[in-house]
Amino acid sequence: MATETGTDVRSTADLDEQLGAEQSTRERVLLWVDERLKWLMTLPAVFLLFALTFYPLLRAIRMSTQQYLPGGRTTYVGIENYVNLLNNGAFLESLVVTGKFIGLAVGLEFVLGFGIALVLNKKIKMRGLWQTLILVPMILSPTVIGLIWRLMYTPDGLLDFMAAPFIGRNVGWISDPDVALYAVVATDVWQWTPLVVLVIFAGLQSVPDDIQEAAIMDGAPRWRRFVDIVFPYLKSLIVLVLIIRVVDALRVFAKVYILTRGGPSNATNVISMEMYRTAFRFSNFGQASAMAISLLVVVLILAMSFVKIADIEF
Amino acid sequence: MATEQQPDVPFREPSRIERLQETLAENGISKAVIYGVLGFFLLWTLFPVYWLVSGALKSRQTLLSFPPAWIPTEFQVSNFVQLFAQRPEFYQYVFNSIVVTVVTTIIATTIGAAAAYGFVTFDFPYNLDFHLPFYILSTRFMPPIVTIIPLFVIFRNLQLVNTLYGLICVYVMFNIPFAVWMMKGFFEEVPASLVESAMLDGHTHIGAFFKIVLPLVKPGLLASAIFTTIITWNELLFAIILTQDVAAMTLPVGLSSFVTKYSVQWINVSVAGTIALVPVLLFAFIARQELVRGFSMGAVGK
Repeated sequence: MATETGTDVRSTADLDEQLGAEQSTRERVLLWVDERLKWLMTLPAVFLLFALTFYPLLRAIRMSTQQYLPGGRTTYVGIENYVNLLNNGAFLESLVVTGKFIGLAVGLEFVLGFGIALVLNKKIKMRGLWQTLILVPMILSPTVIGLIWRLMYTPDGLLDFMAAPFIGRNVGWISDPDVALYAVVATDVWQWTPLVVLVIFAGLQSVPDDIQEAAIMDGAPRWRRFVDIVFPYLKSLIVLVLIIRVVDALRVFAKVYILTRGGPSNATNVISMEMYRTAFRFSNFGQASAMAISLLVVVLILAMSFVKIADIEF
Repeated sequence: MATEQQPDVPFREPSRIERLQETLAENGISKAVIYGVLGFFLLWTLFPVYWLVSGALKSRQTLLSFPPAWIPTEFQVSNFVQLFAQRPEFYQYVFNSIVVTVVTTIIATTIGAAAAYGFVTFDFPYNLDFHLPFYILSTRFMPPIVTIIPLFVIFRNLQLVNTLYGLICVYVMFNIPFAVWMMKGFFEEVPASLVESAMLDGHTHIGAFFKIVLPLVKPGLLASAIFTTIITWNELLFAIILTQDVAAMTLPVGLSSFVTKYSVQWINVSVAGTIALVPVLLFAFIARQELVRGFSMGAVGK
C-alpha cells in the first residue's frame, strides 16, 4: 500500500511540473479520481453486494447451526436443524408443492408460449403494439396480480360465472384444497406466458431467411426444417427461458401470500411460504436458515447447469 | 408436398420473398388463425387488468354482482376519495413507496452503471473483470428469502427494521445485478476510441465519461432506471418482513393488508390496485423494448 501511495504522489507531482503547477483544485481532484477510477467505479457495487448478500449468507450458514431460544439467546446444535428437515412434514410437503407448482406453471408457460410464438411467427401487423400490450402482466406487482385473481376467484365471482355452464357454481377456486394449487398456477401462467412468447418469437424471427430458403428449395418438409434448422437455432434461448422461469418460480411468494397464504390445508404452501412462516411466524430462525441453505444448494446447481448449457458469456 | 416445391419451368424466377410467402401459405396457417390466436391471447392477457380497473369505478353492489357487470354503468370516482377517507394511512404507503423507489433507483442505477463501465473499460488483475461481474450476476439467482432471514436479524441489531433506510439498502442490493447487467451491454457498444480521443484532447477520463460516454448511453440509463423503479415499486417479500407499521410500510404491504381472513374490501382493493399499477404502466410504455431484455436477461437482443 505504501509504495502505491508513493507512486501516486510522484505522478501527481510530475504532472504539476508539466502543467507549471497551475492546476486548480478541481483539476487536482479530477486527476486524483482518474488515477483510481477503476476502483472508485467498481468497488461500491462489489462492496454493497458482499455486505448484503455474501455476509448474510455466512450468517445464514451460522444461523442454520443454531437453535433460537425465547429471549433471543442461541445455542449451537450442529447439523440438528438439517436432520430435523428430513422429519419435518410441512417442509417436505412444501417441497412437493413447489415441485408441482414449478412443473405445472413452467411447463404450461413453455408449451403455451412456444405454441403461440409459432403461430405468430409471420409478418403480422402492429407487431410493436401487441408486443407492448402482452408486456403488461410482467410489469405488474405480484401483489396486484394476486388481488386481481382473488377478485375473479371470489365465490359467485367472474370465474364462477364463466365456469357455471360446465362445472356448476362455486368451484371454490382458492378454498378447495384440490383446486387451489391450480388456481395459483393459473396466475403465474397468466403473468409469464407472454415472456416465453416474446423470447421465442424473437428467436424464430432471427432464424436467417436464406438457410430456411435453401431448405425449402431442397424440398425439406416442414417438420424437418423445424427439427434440423429452427430448433438448433433456438436451443440456447429455450434453455435460457426455461431456467429463468424455473429459478423465478422457485421463489414465488407474493401471489401465494395474497391468494391463499399457503392454505387451504397446506395445498399451496410453497417453500418460500414455509420458510417465511418458520422464520417470522414461529421465530424458528435456525430451522428456517437450514431450509434456506438447502434451497440455495438446489438453486446453485440449477444456475450452474444454466450457465453451462446455455453457454452464457458475461 | 416436396414435389410441388420443385421450381418446374416457371415463367420467371419467383423472387425470394415470393417463394417464402408461397411456402408459408402452403404450410396452412391462415391469416384468420393467426389473428384469432393473437386476439384471444391479447384478450386473455389484458382482461384481468381491465377487470381490476373497471372494478375501481363500480359500486359495491355491481362489483360483486352475479352475473358480472362487464362494463361499469356508473363511474364512481368517489371510490378514490373514499379510499383515502377510510384509510388515511394510505397516503403514507404511497409516500413511502415513492421515497423508497426514487432513492433506490437513483442509487442502484448510479452504482450499477459505474460498476458496469468499470468492468467494461478497465483491466483487472486476476481476471477480476470477469469474475466480479459474474459474481454480481449470480446473485440474481439467489432466492430473496435466503438472504432476508439473516438480513432481518442483522437489521434488527442495527435498528434498521421498520425504517425506509433499511428497505432502500435491501432494494439497492437487489437491483444492482439488473443495473450492471443492462448497462454493461450499453457501454460495450460505445467505441473505446471516443474516450481515447477525448483524453488526447485534454479531458480527464472521468471528464470524458461524463461528457461523452454518459450522453451516448442515456437510453440505457433510462431503461435500467425504469426497470429498477418497476421492480422496487412492486416488491412485497422484503417489505413485509422489514416493516412493522405505517411508518415504513410500502404500497404492496398496504395492499396486502386489505385482504384479511374474513373479509376483503373489494372496492378499496380495486382502487388501491389501480393506483399501484398506473405509474408502472406509464414507465413500462417508455422503456418497453428494454424491459423484455431485462426480464429475459438479455435473451432478446436489440
